[in-house]
Amino acid sequence: MFRATFRVAIDVMPSTKFKPPTPAGHTTIPYTRHHAADPNEEDIIDEALNLFRANCLFRNFEIKGHADRVLIYLILFISECLGKLSKSPTPGEAVKQLSTLAVSNFAIPGDATFPLNAMYSPPRDRSQQDQLRQYIQQLRNEMAIRLVDRVYVDGKPSKWWMCFQKRKFMGLSL
Amino acid sequence: MSSLPVVVMDNGTGYTKLGFSGNSEPSYVFPTAISTHESPSASGAPSVASKPSYLSSNLASKRGIEDLDFYIGNEALASSKTMAVHNPIRHGQIENWDHMERFWEQSIFKYLRCEPEDHHFMLTEPPLNPPENREMTAEIMFETFNVQGLYIAVQAVLALAASWTSKKVNEQTLTGTVIDSGAGVTHVIPVAEGYVIGSSIKSIPIAGRDISKYVQQLLRERGETGIPPEDSLFVAESIKEQYSYVCPDIVKEFKKYDQEPDKYFKKYEGIHSVTGKVGATKLDYIYPGGIFAKLDFFLKPYSVDVGFERFLAPEIFFNPEIASSDFLTPLPEVVDNVIQSSPIDTRRGLYKNIVLSGGSTMYKDFDKRLQRDIKRTVDYRVKASEDLSGGVMKAKPIEVNVISHKKQRHAVWFGGSLLASTPEFYSYCHTKAEYDEYGPSICRHNRVFGSVM
Amino acid sequence: MILLDYHNVILQDTLSARFESEKPESLDMTIVDFDGVLYHLSTPESKTKIQVSFKWGCFSELINYGANDILQREYSDMLVSPPQDGFDATLALDLESLPQDKDARDAIIRKISLIKRNILAAPFERAFKEQEQLEDEKQANPTPELMAVHYREDEAIYVKASQDRVTVIFSTRFKDETDRVFGKVFLQEFVDARKRQDLQNAPPVHFSTREPPLELRHLDLKDSEEMSYITFVLFPRHFASLDVREETISRIQIFRDYLHYHIKCAKAYMHTRMRARVRDFLKVLNRAKPENANVEKKTATGRTFRRS
Repeated sequence: MFRATFRVAIDVMPSTKFKPPTPAGHTTIPYTRHHAADPNEEDIIDEALNLFRANCLFRNFEIKGHADRVLIYLILFISECLGKLSKSPTPGEAVKQLSTLAVSNFAIPGDATFPLNAMYSPPRDRSQQDQLRQYIQQLRNEMAIRLVDRVYVDGKPSKWWMCFQKRKFMGLSL
Repeated sequence: MSSLPVVVMDNGTGYTKLGFSGNSEPSYVFPTAISTHESPSASGAPSVASKPSYLSSNLASKRGIEDLDFYIGNEALASSKTMAVHNPIRHGQIENWDHMERFWEQSIFKYLRCEPEDHHFMLTEPPLNPPENREMTAEIMFETFNVQGLYIAVQAVLALAASWTSKKVNEQTLTGTVIDSGAGVTHVIPVAEGYVIGSSIKSIPIAGRDISKYVQQLLRERGETGIPPEDSLFVAESIKEQYSYVCPDIVKEFKKYDQEPDKYFKKYEGIHSVTGKVGATKLDYIYPGGIFAKLDFFLKPYSVDVGFERFLAPEIFFNPEIASSDFLTPLPEVVDNVIQSSPIDTRRGLYKNIVLSGGSTMYKDFDKRLQRDIKRTVDYRVKASEDLSGGVMKAKPIEVNVISHKKQRHAVWFGGSLLASTPEFYSYCHTKAEYDEYGPSICRHNRVFGSVM
Repeated sequence: MILLDYHNVILQDTLSARFESEKPESLDMTIVDFDGVLYHLSTPESKTKIQVSFKWGCFSELINYGANDILQREYSDMLVSPPQDGFDATLALDLESLPQDKDARDAIIRKISLIKRNILAAPFERAFKEQEQLEDEKQANPTPELMAVHYREDEAIYVKASQDRVTVIFSTRFKDETDRVFGKVFLQEFVDARKRQDLQNAPPVHFSTREPPLELRHLDLKDSEEMSYITFVLFPRHFASLDVREETISRIQIFRDYLHYHIKCAKAYMHTRMRARVRDFLKVLNRAKPENANVEKKTATGRTFRRS
C-alpha cells in the first residue's frame, strides 16, 4: 500500500492526459493532433515522449488505468523507432523510414504475435478489431512524425535519446 | 606522557581511517589492503613446516625477514603486480588476524609514527561484531603493542556522535537511525541510547561501487567512445564524484536538460596515459587510488560528455530497479521498515534523528529527498490510522529529520576523534593493568558514553 | 619494512598536499612522533600561512647541546620567535612565496619533516666536533662532558666524545616482562651479528641489562630489572665524511624505536606461527572423530552382513 504511494509520486508516471471512453481499454475515436480541441495542449503522444526516458529505465510498471496501456504501447514503439534510427539517417530519410515502419504489418491485441497479450484484452468481434487496428495505426503514424522532431538535433539523432535505444521497458519489445 | 592524543583507528572493509583524537580529519585514509609474498591461495599464514622444526636441519631459512616484507594501503595496491594483495577485513569483520596484526604494525609505526605504549587507542567495530573478535583485538592490542588503554566503539554510535556538529542538531543524543554507505554495502542501523538494536538492522547491496558501475554502464550504452577502456571505471568514478546530485523528480529533470542543455550538460576532461611510448614525457601520475609515481607517459587528452548520469546515478538508492534486478526496495522504504520493526517506544526518536555517514551519502540534496520520501510514508500512515478512527483520534505529528553535516564522509572516524578527546574517555577505557589482571574478556563490554559533552 | 623512516610521514604528506592544492584551506592538526614529540599544524593568520609548532620534553636539554644553532642553520628563514604558546619551536611557511621549482619545494618539505631528527642531532654533532679537537693535538683540549638527553620519561641517550671515539649509550626500559625477554634475545643477536665478516666496519655494540655500563656508573642510576643499556662505539670512520656522518646520526637516533618496533614485529610473527600451529592441530583433531557406526557395509554383490 505504502509502496504504491511512493510509486505514484516519484517513479513511473502513469498517464494522466488520456481518458479512453470504452471500458475494454481501447478507443474508437480516431486520434491525431488535428482532431484535438487545442493544438498546443499536450496529448498522449507528447506525454509518451516526455515519459519515455524515465520510464524505459524501469522493469516494473503498475497499470492504473486504461490510458496506461496506451502509454506502454507507445513507449515500446518509441524504442522500436530508435532502433531504426541507430544508423543515423538524414531527417528526411528518417521520416520516410519511420513512416514505413508505422504502416508496415503490425500485431494488435489478440494476435498471437502481440507481445502484451497478458495485459490487453482482445477485441470482441471483427468490427472492433478493425477499429482498434485503425486507432493504433494512427498512433504509430503520429508518433513517427513527432519523434523525429524531438530526437533530431543538427540533422542527426541526438545521442541523449539514442542512449536509451537498448533499454527495454518492462523487459519487453514489440 | 598521558597528554599525548589518543590514536583513533577506523578499519573498514574498503578503507582504513587513521589519525589522532582532537583533529577533524583523519591523517590517513587508505585501502584496508596488505600485500605479501605469500601465494594468494595460502590461508594467510607463512606455511608451517610439515615436519616439526627440530627435525628440519635448515635453520638458516627460519631466520629470514619475510614477515617484514609487506606493504599496506595504497602501496599494497601499487605492488599488486609482484605481490599478493589481501583484504583482512570482509563484511566489516576481521577475517584474517595474521594480516590484521601486521597491518596494524605498519599503520602504527610507519604511518602514525607513535610508540603504542605511550598512547590510548580507540578502535571501531561493526554492529553485531561477535565478542570473540573483540577479545582477539584486545589480545593483539595489549599483548603485541602494549597499548596503555583501549576502547572499542560501535561504528554507528560514533556516526551519531559525529552528527552533533550539525546545526540541525540541538540535543546531543545517542538515539537515532544511522545510514552508513561506503564503497561496498549500505547499512541502516537503529541505535537507542547508545545501544544498537541488532534485530532491526538492514543492509542494502547498493553502495558506492554499484553507483560507479552504473555510471560506467550508462556511459557505455551511450557509446562514449573517447574513454580508454582501462580508465573506464576511473572515469565513471570521477564523474560520479564531481557531478552527481539527487533530483526531486526524474521526469522533470529530463525536461530541464532538454530546455537548458547548456546549464546541465557537462564535459569531463581526462588525459589518457599510455606508458612506454615513443615521445614520452616524465610526469607525476596519480593512479586511481591516489598513488604518485614518476612514469614515462604518452599523453592523449580526451573529453566525455556528462548528462543524465548526473542525477540517475544516486537515483539507484531511491529506485534500485533501474540498475539491479534482484534488489528492488528503495532506501526510504528500507529506513521506514527498520524503524517500524524497532521497539515502539524508540520509534519517534529514530525518525527524529536519521543520520548520514560515509562517502556514498555525500550527494547534493540526498538528505532532502530522503526526508521527503520518508515523511510522505509516515504522514500517509498517520492519516490512514486517523481515518480508521473515524476522525475521532488526532495523532501528534511525527517529526522526520534527516541530518547531513560537514564531517559526513569520515563520520565514524570523526565521532571517534570527538569522543576520544573528552576527559571522560580515559575512564571508559580498558587499561593495560586491568587487562593483565582479568584477561581479554574485559573487552567484551565497552561502556556506553553518556551525553558527555 | 625493516628500517623506520627518519622523517615524519604525516608532516610530509600534509605539507605536500597543501603545496599542491590550488585552493588553500584552513588547517588545525595535532600529530605526534616517536618519543612523545608533538606537532601542531595550524593556519592562525590566513589560509596561506602555515605554522608548524614542535614540542618535546627534552628540548631544554638539547638547547644546552646546541640545538639552537642547528635550528638557525637549517630553518633560519622559517623560524618564528617567540614560538607558539606551549611549544618549543615554531616554523612558519607562506604558501604564496614558495619557490616554483618542484625540487626546491620538496626540499623544504623534507627539511620540515626532519625537524625532530635535526634537533636531536645536536649532541651528536657536538660530540663529533669535540672528538676532532681531542684528536688534533695542536688545539687546546676541551673537556668533553657526558651529554644526556632524557628523550623519554625513564629513558635517555648518553653521548660522550673521547680521543679516538664517540660513545653513545642508550638506556631503555621494557615495561612488559615478555618484552624484556625478547629484547634480550634481540640485542644478543645484534651483538653477535657484528661478528660477521662483512660487518666488520660497523660500530661495535655492547649491551647489558640491569647494570649501567662503566661510563655511567658515576651517575648513580637506579638499578632495575626493567632497564637495558646498549652501547655503540663510533669511530672517526663513521663520521669523517659529511654524508656518512648524517646517515650515522639518523640511524643511531632511531635505534630505540627500531628496537621496540622489532620486538613488536617479533611478537606478531610468533602469534602468526602460533595461530598456524593451532590450525594444524585442529586439523589433526578433526581427523580423530569417530566414524559413523551405523553405516551399512556392503559386499561386492550387494549383500549386507548383520551382526546379531
